[in-house]
Amino acid sequence: MKNIKRALKIHRIFMAQEFKRMMEYKGDFIVGIIGFFLVQLSNLLFLWIIFNQVPTLMGWTVYEVVFIYGLSLIPKGIDHFFFDNLWNIGFFIIRKGDFDKYLTRPVNTLFHVLVEKIQIDALGELIMGIALVCVSIPHIGADWDFFRIAAMICMIPFITLIFTGVKTITASAAFWTKRSGNVIYLFYMFSDFAKYPAAIYNRVVQNIITYIIPFALTSYYPALFILRGENPLFNLGMPVLASAVLMTAGIIVWHRGLRAYESAGS
Amino acid sequence: MELNRNGIGKSNEDMISVDKLRKEFKKTVKDPGLRGSIKSLFRPKTEKVVAVRDISFAVAEGEILGFIGPNGAGKSTVIKMLTGILTPTSGSCTINGKNPTQNRKSYVKEIGVVFGQRTQLWWDLPLRETYGVLKEIYEVPDDRYRKRMAFLNEVLELDDFIASPVRTLSLGQRMRADIAASLLHSPKVLFLDEPTIGLDVVVKDNIRKAIEHINGQEKTTVILTTHDLADIEQLSKRIVMIDKGSKVFDGTIAELKAKYGQIRELYFESDCKNAEQTLAYDRQFALGKDDLSVETEGKSVKVRFNSSIVPVSDMLSYTLGKINVSDISVKDADIEEIIRRLYGQGAES
Repeated sequence: MKNIKRALKIHRIFMAQEFKRMMEYKGDFIVGIIGFFLVQLSNLLFLWIIFNQVPTLMGWTVYEVVFIYGLSLIPKGIDHFFFDNLWNIGFFIIRKGDFDKYLTRPVNTLFHVLVEKIQIDALGELIMGIALVCVSIPHIGADWDFFRIAAMICMIPFITLIFTGVKTITASAAFWTKRSGNVIYLFYMFSDFAKYPAAIYNRVVQNIITYIIPFALTSYYPALFILRGENPLFNLGMPVLASAVLMTAGIIVWHRGLRAYESAGS
Repeated sequence: MELNRNGIGKSNEDMISVDKLRKEFKKTVKDPGLRGSIKSLFRPKTEKVVAVRDISFAVAEGEILGFIGPNGAGKSTVIKMLTGILTPTSGSCTINGKNPTQNRKSYVKEIGVVFGQRTQLWWDLPLRETYGVLKEIYEVPDDRYRKRMAFLNEVLELDDFIASPVRTLSLGQRMRADIAASLLHSPKVLFLDEPTIGLDVVVKDNIRKAIEHINGQEKTTVILTTHDLADIEQLSKRIVMIDKGSKVFDGTIAELKAKYGQIRELYFESDCKNAEQTLAYDRQFALGKDDLSVETEGKSVKVRFNSSIVPVSDMLSYTLGKINVSDISVKDADIEEIIRRLYGQGAES
């Protein structure tokens, strides 16, 4: 309990530092947010063009697809907002020996790295995701009972950790290879598959995004339950299980990596 | 706590003891060029590099130890193992009864670390913010924090720039700020890796005084690596010297001078055209290459010789008897000269 309190306090302090840092560079901050909204708008335009041609996609209506698309952006945006620093581990921090700093402070290194930075650009994804989900819900004729809404909200922390877990494992590779930014990128890009119903892909891709790099668990499978009430044990249980497995694996690989860390000459 | 501070109870124990510490790195060997890089991608060849070779030494509480050696000797690697950044390949180090790689979090609360080439300050924010965050990270209570900041302010004169963003600080200010950051939690041991690198003489002197002051007042044990031997001469009574990963000397500066310091420097000016040939020291005295060197530059001649083989008086009377000289003097070897001899030929300085 004391540990959690301390962790929350440190998190709050780092967040405050980050906001102060952003205020030092206001122009950059504003342009970053505008940029991200533009990216999301162009994605939306693309989606709109597709659905003007095709009214349904493998049995999924326009608004159901919009819902899945929006739902996939929410955990991605949360992870991007809070835990973006893992990219720096993969690209710079280990290679340049700057990881030394974390090892000389009395804070868990992974926790320190995760909470040290926030990425304000992620608000673009997050707001767009929430907006799409909210816009699509009234058009979908599902049984919107309390349990489904609660399930959707409760799933969000878990599916966020699927992103964080994959990034932690791939970033840790840098402890051995010095640089793993492109490895993170390769795996992270699989999350693009999660924007659309997994049913539209062939079997191989489906299996990969369900069991190996399980980004389909972040939107499609929860949506199967939320929209259609299908198989809650699998559709909700699997994402929770996957987030636990990936995050645990991430923590183990990270701590193995610490022993292999070689710093850099100075 | 108080008992330890006063040295009662554990006065005989060493603060730091290092036993046969060794670190090996694996290095990929590549043939030159793009072809070599591609070849090594498919068939990587690795070779073992021993950066630190079974080093042992001990440091008493409150001591300032100078840790010196040429570039690439393994100084930083040793410091990184002592601070828990690197895991030793074999051997052990114990600091205040703790092993750095086991239970790292409780260990690092007792040490402060400064790498002169790096900074742990928040680059984009006013310096004050860094101390605010470190206070929370190290869980320093409010009243202790206020007292501590007042003390560090006084010793390191932070007041002038504590409100400026770190990116605008000069190198000297940044170094003072970094040293203050490493001392905020009152560590028992302070590791300073090149704390005076790149600084001008005045700033160097201020930093040395601050380190001396903190060591004197709080009995902080200090390990210091440096290339500037003036740091060592002013701060530490004892030095450990390493070269190519092995320890080559461990003792006080006085011992170093006694052991290797028999070199004297005879300096004179003479009108004699070819003083060097006329004098021919190497034929007159039984001095080998290592024990004698002569430099002539215009009128002035510098002779370095080993005074345990040829007494200074013999050297003087021989020289004065052979040629006419003006302005003659004999100097003690300085520590730099000794170290140059110890490092050997291959070392860069």
